[in-house]
Amino acid sequence: MSDEEKTSILILDDEAIVLKRLRPALEKAGYEVETFVRSSDASSRITERQFDIVITDLKMEGLDGMQFLTQVKERFPKTEVIVITGFATMDTVKESFQKGVLDFLAKPFKLGEILETVKKAETKIKQADDS
Amino acid sequence: MGKFLDWAKNTFNRIRWKPHEDVSFASLFHTFQRILGLNNRILEIMSDMGTKLGGDYVFDRQYIISSCRQMAVLVYELIYNLNTLAPKKYLKLDDIYRDIARDIQEELAGRLVIPQADDVMSYDIITRDFSDVVGRKNANIAEIKNRLSVAVPEGFAITTRAFKSFFDYNGIQSKVDETLNAWENETITCNQASQKIQGLISSGSMTPQLNKAVERELKHLQDLTGTRDHFFAVRSSAMGEDGEHSFAGQYLSLLNQPQQNLLKCYKDVLASTYSPSVMEYRRQKDFSEHEVAMAVACQYMIDAKVSGVLYTLDPMNPTREEMVISSTWGLGAPIVSGKVNADRFMVSRESPYNIKSLDIVRKTERFVAKECGGCEFRPVNEEMQMQMSLTDHRIRELAEVCLMIERYFKCPQDIEWSIDQEGRLYILQARPLNIKADVAPVVCDISSITEQYPVLFSGKGVIVQNGIASGKVFVVGNDGDLDKFPNGGILVAKETSPRFAKIARKASGIITDVGSPTGHMATISREFRIPTIVKTGIATKILRPGQEITIDAAENVIYEGKIKELCYYGFMEDNFEESYEYRLLRRVLKKITPLNLLDPHDKDFVPLACKTYHDITRFVHEKAVEELINLNYHHRSDAETAGKKLKSDLPLDLIIMDIGGGMKETVDHSTISQDQILSLPMSAFLTGLNTPGAWSREPMSVDFGSFMSSLTRTFSTHQVSPINVGQNLAVISAEYANLSLRLGYHFNMIDAYIGDKINDNYAFFRFLGGVTDPIRRSRRAKFINEVLIQNDFNVEIRGDLVVGRIKKLSPQLMERKMLLLGQLVAFTRQLDVQMSSDQQILKFLSKFEQLTRENETITILGRETS
Repeated sequence: MSDEEKTSILILDDEAIVLKRLRPALEKAGYEVETFVRSSDASSRITERQFDIVITDLKMEGLDGMQFLTQVKERFPKTEVIVITGFATMDTVKESFQKGVLDFLAKPFKLGEILETVKKAETKIKQADDS
Repeated sequence: MGKFLDWAKNTFNRIRWKPHEDVSFASLFHTFQRILGLNNRILEIMSDMGTKLGGDYVFDRQYIISSCRQMAVLVYELIYNLNTLAPKKYLKLDDIYRDIARDIQEELAGRLVIPQADDVMSYDIITRDFSDVVGRKNANIAEIKNRLSVAVPEGFAITTRAFKSFFDYNGIQSKVDETLNAWENETITCNQASQKIQGLISSGSMTPQLNKAVERELKHLQDLTGTRDHFFAVRSSAMGEDGEHSFAGQYLSLLNQPQQNLLKCYKDVLASTYSPSVMEYRRQKDFSEHEVAMAVACQYMIDAKVSGVLYTLDPMNPTREEMVISSTWGLGAPIVSGKVNADRFMVSRESPYNIKSLDIVRKTERFVAKECGGCEFRPVNEEMQMQMSLTDHRIRELAEVCLMIERYFKCPQDIEWSIDQEGRLYILQARPLNIKADVAPVVCDISSITEQYPVLFSGKGVIVQNGIASGKVFVVGNDGDLDKFPNGGILVAKETSPRFAKIARKASGIITDVGSPTGHMATISREFRIPTIVKTGIATKILRPGQEITIDAAENVIYEGKIKELCYYGFMEDNFEESYEYRLLRRVLKKITPLNLLDPHDKDFVPLACKTYHDITRFVHEKAVEELINLNYHHRSDAETAGKKLKSDLPLDLIIMDIGGGMKETVDHSTISQDQILSLPMSAFLTGLNTPGAWSREPMSVDFGSFMSSLTRTFSTHQVSPINVGQNLAVISAEYANLSLRLGYHFNMIDAYIGDKINDNYAFFRFLGGVTDPIRRSRRAKFINEVLIQNDFNVEIRGDLVVGRIKKLSPQLMERKMLLLGQLVAFTRQLDVQMSSDQQILKFLSKFEQLTRENETITILGRETS
């Protein structure tokens, strides 16, 4: 399989350990993964290419996750966004869903859970493409 | 967290303590219940945090911080509540709490809290979590010794703390910094900088603490081995060395040094931290100079007949599945530095580890330790020069040990070993073999590779320990099977069992049908890092003995066949368990979970002996029960809850107090019969207690030894707390029961809640004490442990303390568990007297099983229970 056919995923989290764990798990499952620890880097990366799926933390220094996912959704409405966060309030959950976020995972989560969520996003993208 | 502590303190201080003369029993009991609630919550978070170490979860630093914070609030509140129950009686607890909280806070702030704050650490107490303190080399060798029970040279580590103290003591840190800056600004060359710093180190003098600590350690080693005047290998074990960056051969190692030279050698090794090549290496690898800290390994010198190096996977041809052994007569140092030719064996990674190819060279010289210290080359006898330096048998032994080390560290290993004149194999050091670049092409597209293999099952069960392994299925039925367990086999069993600990060193994976992610098995799997999936429901039905499978306990998939690529993929992954967050979590847990306070009768069962949050939690719980019993029984001032004695055929002097809906209204104010009890858990428990045949009525024949022991025990129990002996108490409501039972001199504590909300339901059982000698008591504890495990309880056992917990079952199932506890308490009442041998445990287990089977349809509150 070439890289073009793989589903692409961008992950943004300011704690490197999260990236360190997610990248191999997702790569092993056959995804193409780019990871960012700084939101500014992720933010400039999405001006260069479109990702099928974006996984982002919400609470970070600098540009926060909410702003980042807003940018993503504005630029690429078809990109599915999954939020991972340790502090979920009803307000942030609500706001995220309003902005078109597909799913919300509270940290800590199991690797199996994120894989399932990513598969869900993938299915949704395929359905959208088919129709 | 400092701010938080202040906040918590102020908040709790605002609520004034009331002496309990003013307070009703109901409100005291409310406090007591609050303590039990907090106790449960704390144990839950504790187990939650422990679960995160298995690797199935993605967690971050924030999680560790917030869990610790939560834990701190709860423990503080716990202490506060005990203070309400027993004003000013246990004030010391506050100080202990503050110390523990401060240590955890320091850890979270990135400052290491070194236990026993030592310059020197013996290998016996080193674990991998101290790698920042003792360096990876020391940490690895200590793990191999302590966890895998493989022979390594006796020795100790001189810590990075000693390194820092040496710099402080001699006041050279600022001069070193200046010199480094000058090098950075290119005003001096690397060589000049190196020379200057090494000069500073050589002229420094040893701190008195280090002198003393080394002396103490030498004495300890002498006591251990019974011999004096040893020679040592003194090796670097720097931070960052032997991990991601090998620093191979960069630092100094000194061999065969007489012990009086140790401190001089230590300085030489320290100085090698600043050799020009190391300084350049650090600069290239982007190490910051303030990260530099050198620990040193001091190991007994092995009088080596043969030595060498083993790579558990050939880095040149990783897919060939072969190990590489280089070996020569004498010491192995010249092999490592490439100064001699060595025999070379390519050996299969599969048992029985056949030799695939070999290359025997002429070995004209051997490097040996001189009698007076130091080493030299000596000629090898003509007839030995072309002789194979290792026999088949030796190669097998070596392969087995080294693969076990690889399994444990989850990465191919580069291992130095020696065989001494008596033929004993020693592992001298082990470090990860960096093969990422070599195996990367093999695993470029793992998902399409795994697609080619049949999936036997996936998504079943719970991952207890993350990881990937291939091997042959070994189905375990009864005890005898375990002795035949092959190296590298995958253990498949119906249930988890603590006895699997026996084969933990051999197993490369574990899969079970039932089991709990927080039970004993989980602890063992995590300890030995064996990829483990429990509760699959179908493993023993689907997997056949001898079948080759690959277990992916990251994705929760079992494949048929051996997927080499997947295993390599596992090798390539950064070992997340060595990441900062994992180490941090393990370190804070050391301040949280270990339980040191065991026996409440022990004179050391005092606040000052509490070392962890778990200790405090246990102490508070125990004392809260004690306080409540005293208040209820001896100051029965509150008429409404004043106890009634249970009318029973059993010699059970039980006072029951109702705090709401637990009993029928009766005219009789002093006694109550069992059918008047409405409390679900209490009623179930009493039914169990009265099960025909459960309560042994015949007097026990106590042999003389047990009898004497029973006398002493009685005496000491009286000494500790004469007021409580023989007193049984239950506090109940419609859904709740809290029992404190002293039967003979055993203390049972049961706390249970059974209501309609399944999530609130729990039963907690604690058993301690006994009449006879410690061995019999611990046999009985084992018996109780087995019964509880068979009945799905989570169990902790320490000596003769058994704690069983079960929760979140339907009311019907919870009742069944309470019934069982009743039967168990009755059955075990005098059992320790009869526990004259280990076989008795099995005998009584089957007796008890029979008893429960015969009474399966017993009724509680007039209803069928099964």
